[in-house]
Amino acid sequence: MRRGADLALVAVLLAAAAAALVFGGPAATPGEALAVLSGGGSPEVRTIVLGLRLPRLGLALVVGASLALAGAALQALLSNPLADPFLLGISGGGAAAATAAYVLLPAAALGGVPAAAMAGAAAATGLVWWMARGPLGPSPTRMILAGVAVNAAASAAILTMLALAPSPRLPGVIAVTMGSLASASAGQVAWLAPYVLVPAFVLLLHGRDLGLLATGEESAAALGVEVATVRRRVFMAAAALCGGAVAFAGVIGFVGLVTPHLCRLVWGGSTRRLLPRAALAGAALTVLGDLLARRALSPAELPVGVVTALLGVPFFVALLRRSA
Amino acid sequence: MTTLLRASALSGGYGDDEVVREVDLAVAEGECVAVLGPNGAGKSTLLRLLAGILPASSGRVELRGKALQAWRRREVAREVGFVPQIVNFAFPVTVTEVVQQGRAPHLGPWRPPSPHDHAAVDAALARVGLSERSTTAVQRLSGGERQLVLLARALASEPRLLLLDEPTAALDVRHQLELAGVLRQLVAEGVGAVLVAHDWNFALRIAHRVVVLHHGRVRAAGPPPEVLRSELFREVFRVEVDILWRDDGPPTVLPKTIAKT
Repeated sequence: MRRGADLALVAVLLAAAAAALVFGGPAATPGEALAVLSGGGSPEVRTIVLGLRLPRLGLALVVGASLALAGAALQALLSNPLADPFLLGISGGGAAAATAAYVLLPAAALGGVPAAAMAGAAAATGLVWWMARGPLGPSPTRMILAGVAVNAAASAAILTMLALAPSPRLPGVIAVTMGSLASASAGQVAWLAPYVLVPAFVLLLHGRDLGLLATGEESAAALGVEVATVRRRVFMAAAALCGGAVAFAGVIGFVGLVTPHLCRLVWGGSTRRLLPRAALAGAALTVLGDLLARRALSPAELPVGVVTALLGVPFFVALLRRSA
Repeated sequence: MTTLLRASALSGGYGDDEVVREVDLAVAEGECVAVLGPNGAGKSTLLRLLAGILPASSGRVELRGKALQAWRRREVAREVGFVPQIVNFAFPVTVTEVVQQGRAPHLGPWRPPSPHDHAAVDAALARVGLSERSTTAVQRLSGGERQLVLLARALASEPRLLLLDEPTAALDVRHQLELAGVLRQLVAEGVGAVLVAHDWNFALRIAHRVVVLHHGRVRAAGPPPEVLRSELFREVFRVEVDILWRDDGPPTVLPKTIAKT
């Protein structure tokens, strides 16, 4: 049954990716897009499909996989089903710095927004780390409290800047705070894809340890887990994934929270089994969410974070009721 | 009998708070040592020190003749099965999935469980009588059954030594007798055990030797006939007891009243 579910997951991912290329928007019809994918098509349509939709698909895949993987790892690390990649304040730091960049930078320098977001995410990571550090690595309770505090400070900063921002810059700020893949470029994907490999590898490497940590530090240590080392590595890896995602796509909510729970329903409670599947499922969900964001009110485009939240909330409510 | 674990002048605690002080304790193959004492005497802390989960502030623990700090954590986990008092299950997991965690010290990060790993898990489940419930979610089990799952998880790693932290705390009488039977059988097969307990009568069913802790120090130690004295209960536990000696089984401790100080 699990093998079948694995195959179904891969099929959904491929279908979502194909749909994103073929049905991506009104600028090219599905027929024209299919012609491009089979090697033909006019130069204009080729630019739309390969130059715009393909990088956007790539970014959605990498960001979705990052968020779901980080979410699944943090839920285990903190033994907390409500944990998600944004809980630790890293997204808040990234979004606040990106907002500051949108508001303050001259128009010609707006390409520097992702760099600013990364710097903000790194600063927030350092701050949370410093607040939470302890003899057994960062303490789960203090990680959560520190993350909540940093996020609160970040949203206060964002709202202040929003109130003072010149109106032409508002769409950029909304893209950061609500999540958007609209400004994806091949260069971004080429940068982000290799960047996520190391943290993703670290999390997958510690899948089994994370499963043990989810049952408590005493248990985990007794079963051979170097608790302090694993906590440090997983915290840093999850922070790196979250920072990368926020830098290029803003704060896309609910993917990191809901995807791991969805996967647990299908593949059971083993964290080692869960992590890679959550990554693939997160990629598929983000691609589908972004497709909906583009097509639901076409030609207008919704922030992808709005769509993932709209899809995620009812699902999450159902999940909560089910477990009650 | 080969000594599995030996603590010498072992002290430790949390920060400046030294909870365990200069404790000597040894447990050999096929031997069960019960650690008893009033609340706050340092029993659970001693167990954590023995498992190496908590670093000692001074003194020494040797596992099979080698200092505990010189072992890698995973190697210790293969030798020593630790049964904690409480485990938090934040996510739905089945009984088998929990018991499989006991194989973690034998597996690398990538290797899936081998047939031997599965056999060890099945054997551990059978031993505690939970084979029938292997696919049940742990969250649906009673407190007593959960305790047995934790014992099975420790047994799945095929340890030479078991460290048990009040395993009877959540068990009804039948489960207590069942657990006592399982532990006696394991000890008869050569496994060593350190049993932290509140329940004297449970401990006396299994233990070859008894260590009584008071304010973190060993107040009395030895085989039950040497240790069981009503004066000890008066001084350490502040209760008056009757001790019933029997020819056909372990002695029974009957608490009567709170001792006058």
